[in-house]
Amino acid sequence: MDLIELFLAPLRYPFMWRGLIASLMVGTLCAVVGTYVVLRGMAFLGDALAHAILPGVAVAYLLGQPLFWGALLMGLLTAVGIGFVSRRAEIKEDTAIGILFAASFALGIALLSTVQSYSVDLTHILFGNILGVSDQDLVLTGALGLFVLLVVVLLYKELLVVTFDPLFATTVGLPTTALHYTLLVLIALTIVVSIQTVGVALMVAMLVTPATTAYLLTRKMWQMMLVGAGCGVFSAVAGLYISFYTNVASGSAVVLVSTALFLLAMLFAPRRGMVWGWAGRRRAG
Amino acid sequence: MTAALQVEHVSVSYNGRRVLEDITFSVQAGERVAVVGPNGAGKSTLFRAILGLVPLEAGRVQVLDAGAPAPVGYLSQRLLVDWRFPVTAFDVVMMGRVGKLGWLKWYSRRDKEAVWRALEMVGMREYADSPISELSGGQQQRVFIARALAQEAKLLLLDEPFTGLDLPSQEAILRLMEELRAQQITILFSTHDLALALEHFDQLALLNRRLIAYGPPRTVITSENLSRAYGGKALWRGDNYVMVLGDIECCGEGEHHGPH
Repeated sequence: MDLIELFLAPLRYPFMWRGLIASLMVGTLCAVVGTYVVLRGMAFLGDALAHAILPGVAVAYLLGQPLFWGALLMGLLTAVGIGFVSRRAEIKEDTAIGILFAASFALGIALLSTVQSYSVDLTHILFGNILGVSDQDLVLTGALGLFVLLVVVLLYKELLVVTFDPLFATTVGLPTTALHYTLLVLIALTIVVSIQTVGVALMVAMLVTPATTAYLLTRKMWQMMLVGAGCGVFSAVAGLYISFYTNVASGSAVVLVSTALFLLAMLFAPRRGMVWGWAGRRRAG
Repeated sequence: MTAALQVEHVSVSYNGRRVLEDITFSVQAGERVAVVGPNGAGKSTLFRAILGLVPLEAGRVQVLDAGAPAPVGYLSQRLLVDWRFPVTAFDVVMMGRVGKLGWLKWYSRRDKEAVWRALEMVGMREYADSPISELSGGQQQRVFIARALAQEAKLLLLDEPFTGLDLPSQEAILRLMEELRAQQITILFSTHDLALALEHFDQLALLNRRLIAYGPPRTVITSENLSRAYGGKALWRGDNYVMVLGDIECCGEGEHHGPH
């Protein structure tokens, strides 16, 4: 079986097509929104948001409703909650987030463990099941994903300024608090859209890794978003095929591919790559 | 001559502690004012009050351009920005246009021309496409001054812009300030460096919570004023040099000045 056949053969199955479309969407969205996560140093917050969504997913699952709606509701609640907590001064922000997200995650696990088939379903929720994307999932996530991208495009210049220099943003009269909440909501929506593909536990990797790979290769924020989207899509599609052929959980396959891309960029990125640093030192020494 | 900045009886408190007390002064368009005083004297707070970033407990601030309210350009202390951020010099200067543009609008040709003009003025035109991470400290400061020019700000607040800059970079910025005078751009410049203030500025504001003295540098820097500002630790010697001994709780350059 040659390479093209290896690529085309699985497309006989409709679920592969759905997985492919989901991969394109998730890869793009995670990298674009992840650009902000990386540049503002919000990786921990992204991880927390992903985990905190679990109770919503669990309740939807127990009620036999689409997981999407539970995740969406919980995601928005958590985004606003975290935004609120981070403005209080009594506890350090990361401590507060740590407490909230672990509690929320624990509640989700508790709810799910009341079900018989608990372990299989939990695995899918935690680590993704890209081969199980339904038509309904696809429509909902597609609509939401396009919405997120639209907001990013429309608010590009404002979000750039507020991410780069929040103090300056305030002095020119931008509503920095509202923009901060907007960003939290965008991250939450991205997570909701991507849960089916990468799962709760590995979500943060998709937000951070492709965007960081792109960070090493680019010099403008929009370039970082585009190159990141390329890395994200490649990782997601590769993960889908690995998942199809080897039965590895899709989330871990996707994340491992994107990590491999990151390592390549770290070693070989033009000028910033470590290999050039070593080579330069040898020549100089 | 028209006033570019009027500060009237301004008081500011943080957590119940007075940081600025009844500050009053007025700056003419095109003047360059050095704001000096010991650490914790309220120099940064004064700038933030002028920008409207901190609430005034009393008094009022007016920033005027030919009688109408005008935008203020601000260079915060250098450490507040992530210098590895993926933006070019051009991008940073373009940020100066955001406040003017409004939501959902993209930069027009006029905005781009304003950015090129601002880069030209600070002598950074050929670095427009350079990522800010690849610029020197002095070049970074000039890019941020260009951003303020792109804002069409008539008043620039420079908060200790020389911190960490080498001498050639400092001189480049001083030359630039000289050129900005021709455009009636007013500058407030906070520094620890009394000798610098004495040499390069029209007015000097000596601050320690209160405005100890305001006026032409040579009239402001007297033994009496300095000891009021620095608590008896300052000495004023001769015609052309200043000594400040043991500036309170501080460090780094700019505190001990021998002959200049």
